[in-house]
Amino acid sequence: MTSYIIRRLLQIIPTVFVALSFLFFIFFALPGDPASLIAGGAERTIDPGVMERINARYGLGNSIWAQFGDYWQRTIRWDLGESFLNRRSVNEILGERAVASIRLAIWAVIIEVIVGLCVGLLSAIRRYSWSDKLTTIVTAVASAIPVFVLGFILQWAFAVKPNQWDWPEWARLRTSGIGPNSWTLFFIPTGEQWRYLILPAITLASVTTALLARMTRGSMLEVLRADYMRTARAKGLRERDVVVRHGLRNAMLPVVTLIGLDFGTAIGSAVLTETTFSWPGLGSQIVASVNDRDLPVLLGLTLAVVLAYAFVNLIVDISYAWFDPRIRLGKGEHA
Amino acid sequence: MRRQRRGLKLLALILGLSLVAAACGDDDDDEGAAEEGEGAEEEFQQGGEFIDLSAFSQGPAENIDPALSTTVSASQVGESLYDGLTKVDYSDIENPVVRGEAAESWEPNEDGTEWTFTVRDDLFFSDGTQVLPSSFKRSFERSSEPDFAGDYSYLFSFFEGGQEKLDGAADEITGVVADDDEMTLTTTLSAPYANFDAVIGFKLFAPMPEAVEELTDQNEWETMDGGLIGNGPFMLDAPINDQEIVLVPNPEWDGTKYDEELGLPEQPYLDRLTFRVSADQDTAYNAFEAGEGQTATIVAGRVQEAVDNYATTLNDPALGIYYFQINDRDPRVGGEENKLLRQAISQAIDRDEINQAVYEGTRTNATGITPPGIPGFQEGLCDYCEYDPEAAQAAYDEWVDAGNSLAEPLPIQLNADAGHEPVVQIIIDNLDAIGIPATAEAIPSETYFGQLAEGACVICRAGWLADYPTYDNFMFDLFDTSALDGNNYGYSNPEFDELLAEAKATTDADTAADLFQQAEQILLNDDIGTIPINWYLGTVAYNPDEVANLSQTPDFHIVWETVALANP
Repeated sequence: MTSYIIRRLLQIIPTVFVALSFLFFIFFALPGDPASLIAGGAERTIDPGVMERINARYGLGNSIWAQFGDYWQRTIRWDLGESFLNRRSVNEILGERAVASIRLAIWAVIIEVIVGLCVGLLSAIRRYSWSDKLTTIVTAVASAIPVFVLGFILQWAFAVKPNQWDWPEWARLRTSGIGPNSWTLFFIPTGEQWRYLILPAITLASVTTALLARMTRGSMLEVLRADYMRTARAKGLRERDVVVRHGLRNAMLPVVTLIGLDFGTAIGSAVLTETTFSWPGLGSQIVASVNDRDLPVLLGLTLAVVLAYAFVNLIVDISYAWFDPRIRLGKGEHA
Repeated sequence: MRRQRRGLKLLALILGLSLVAAACGDDDDDEGAAEEGEGAEEEFQQGGEFIDLSAFSQGPAENIDPALSTTVSASQVGESLYDGLTKVDYSDIENPVVRGEAAESWEPNEDGTEWTFTVRDDLFFSDGTQVLPSSFKRSFERSSEPDFAGDYSYLFSFFEGGQEKLDGAADEITGVVADDDEMTLTTTLSAPYANFDAVIGFKLFAPMPEAVEELTDQNEWETMDGGLIGNGPFMLDAPINDQEIVLVPNPEWDGTKYDEELGLPEQPYLDRLTFRVSADQDTAYNAFEAGEGQTATIVAGRVQEAVDNYATTLNDPALGIYYFQINDRDPRVGGEENKLLRQAISQAIDRDEINQAVYEGTRTNATGITPPGIPGFQEGLCDYCEYDPEAAQAAYDEWVDAGNSLAEPLPIQLNADAGHEPVVQIIIDNLDAIGIPATAEAIPSETYFGQLAEGACVICRAGWLADYPTYDNFMFDLFDTSALDGNNYGYSNPEFDELLAEAKATTDADTAADLFQQAEQILLNDDIGTIPINWYLGTVAYNPDEVANLSQTPDFHIVWETVALANP
């Protein structure tokens, strides 16, 4: 197991190098001159003197290979550079954005796991009943509603209308923003923080919860038909123990894979949710950096997303061994 | 019963006296009703926190530092932190007047090449240091450093020696001389400029305290704790971040020291002003409707809702023009031989339909390029800006009869995914109605103006918000032959250029206005070099139950030092 973990950690290095290098070169293939866009060229024609200064300041006049070399020399020292737009340290931007994204992702995944697993399990146990049909319809609708539409509906229902109807303050949620940014144990909101957290977390979890419920249902239906389930019942175990200890645990492999992917996506790609709720996360900042051609911010934040995916996948793979004792990770064994 | 009746009478008397006392009562310590200056008719209550959701409704500003900021939203903060030498008073929108803020008085020489500003001797920055002429000199030198200069630094070329400083060929701007003993700032310009008193009030020319000289990196000024020390009505309560910018009143500021016609209070009415950042305009508006802020930018599709439920600044004119530029160098539309075609195009466009269908009535149909609010503005300069399909058809038919034709549809350029598609579609439909084939040519927004500068314009969508409220900011910066690095958008007329140069050098306001209007008439009527569509209007909604005083100036600024809450 230890050697497996070390091997997987070392594999992150080439993964990060290939991903960021690819992004680096794709950046220069995008239309538009970065220097012009930094100078505000999307809104006005730029004085040539301004262009010259910007090219000199950010090395954008150098060859691509020279810029590539400079970039990796700095990155190895964990100096992610400065934003082209406002010269803020990318390390600082990353620190703020990554933390906000991880907190939101944790809660979205908590909602996803609790609701998705319960709904999926219920659907599987009571398959073809009215509750199964109802959850099928609800999950289909939840996965079809665009995230930003759901976000606006929730804002309207839980913040705008309560204000217009003069509800008491304790009954109102907040439309947007990260609020007081007060947490304990890294991810547990304190004070008024939960009012700002709950709507974006539900919105972010909505699509993935529906998919997880469907995945859990499908996986459980397979497991429920297995011989060992009949054996467990025959041994006289309670139905709850049969379903949860024997059934659900064996059904979890594909489900936990999906949870891992969802967590990674929630950290780095929750663009619509972050934009709708003005939650200062990685996804929306990455998109803004593409539009602004802000290369250092784009690469720095993508690095964080790649690392997040890599670590989450590692944890998912390790969890396989816990769910299924037949799986032993390490040299000579398959995962 | 008699005792009860007596008691009731006594109670009524007490209540009545209380009402009288309340009506006649003057200020007490808890309720500071500040005056707005001479002739103030209303008193507003001091106090409260104001949350603005309008300025940063589409993300944070790149830079707040006046040397670097480029956007209107950033200047909302910048102009709250810093006061310049002058300020334009828009109280009478027909006759905007330049008034003194930090400058007590100013005097141009005969030809407008030298301006001497006398700085008031009782102004201070928020750190207690005095505002001196050298504070302005320091700021100009800082903002024109080649390594630090921002997008607007080219304005320093107005000064003698400014271009040399920007190019790194000189260590200072020789045309700016500060005399702290005499409290004068003397500026020598590289060319005559009669409106320079309006230009010097631009955010770029704000003063800076000595504290900036201690910085090793000037970029730290807006991110460090205790940075952006200014002489304006507010100061930062905490370093700027991506979520909000919080301002509190600057105790060293006193608005009554400025020109009394500006009607500024001694101190801002608000105790705290928070600019909250939103990633999306609709989200910001939802937050406003949820009571999380007092102001918001009105979003498309919700204009009527805003008008029905809130107070708005939709009736306040703004210094912005939305227009389509014609490339005079393009053989399909340019030159004297195609003037009738250009006339037909302009008269065929139903500007009312565009205003109603696309902008829900929140714009004003343009009758020229230069909008109301600019000194010298005159309504109705354009002869061909009214919708007249018969006249358009006649002009087009005459053009065709002269042996002209269009081999293919006329391309109309626009920047993609920025909301201009419906405008262009209406124009295409209008042109089609009189037989002119046209097609939309969408160019990615990120490269749009760059491509236009390289000659991509045939009939291209353009827009302009005034940097400073002068006539030449609309005429020279857009249509002079030397503007935009050779004006690749395609208009050039030596007679027009000459009139502009003469107008800029004329110190008499009426004469200058007449010259600018003559130039604009050449552009619009003699050459039909551009097609104005509409002028912008105000954009802000606010809750009148919460906000006692708020207005938006034509340059899209809210004068925050005069904003007051109804029930702080």
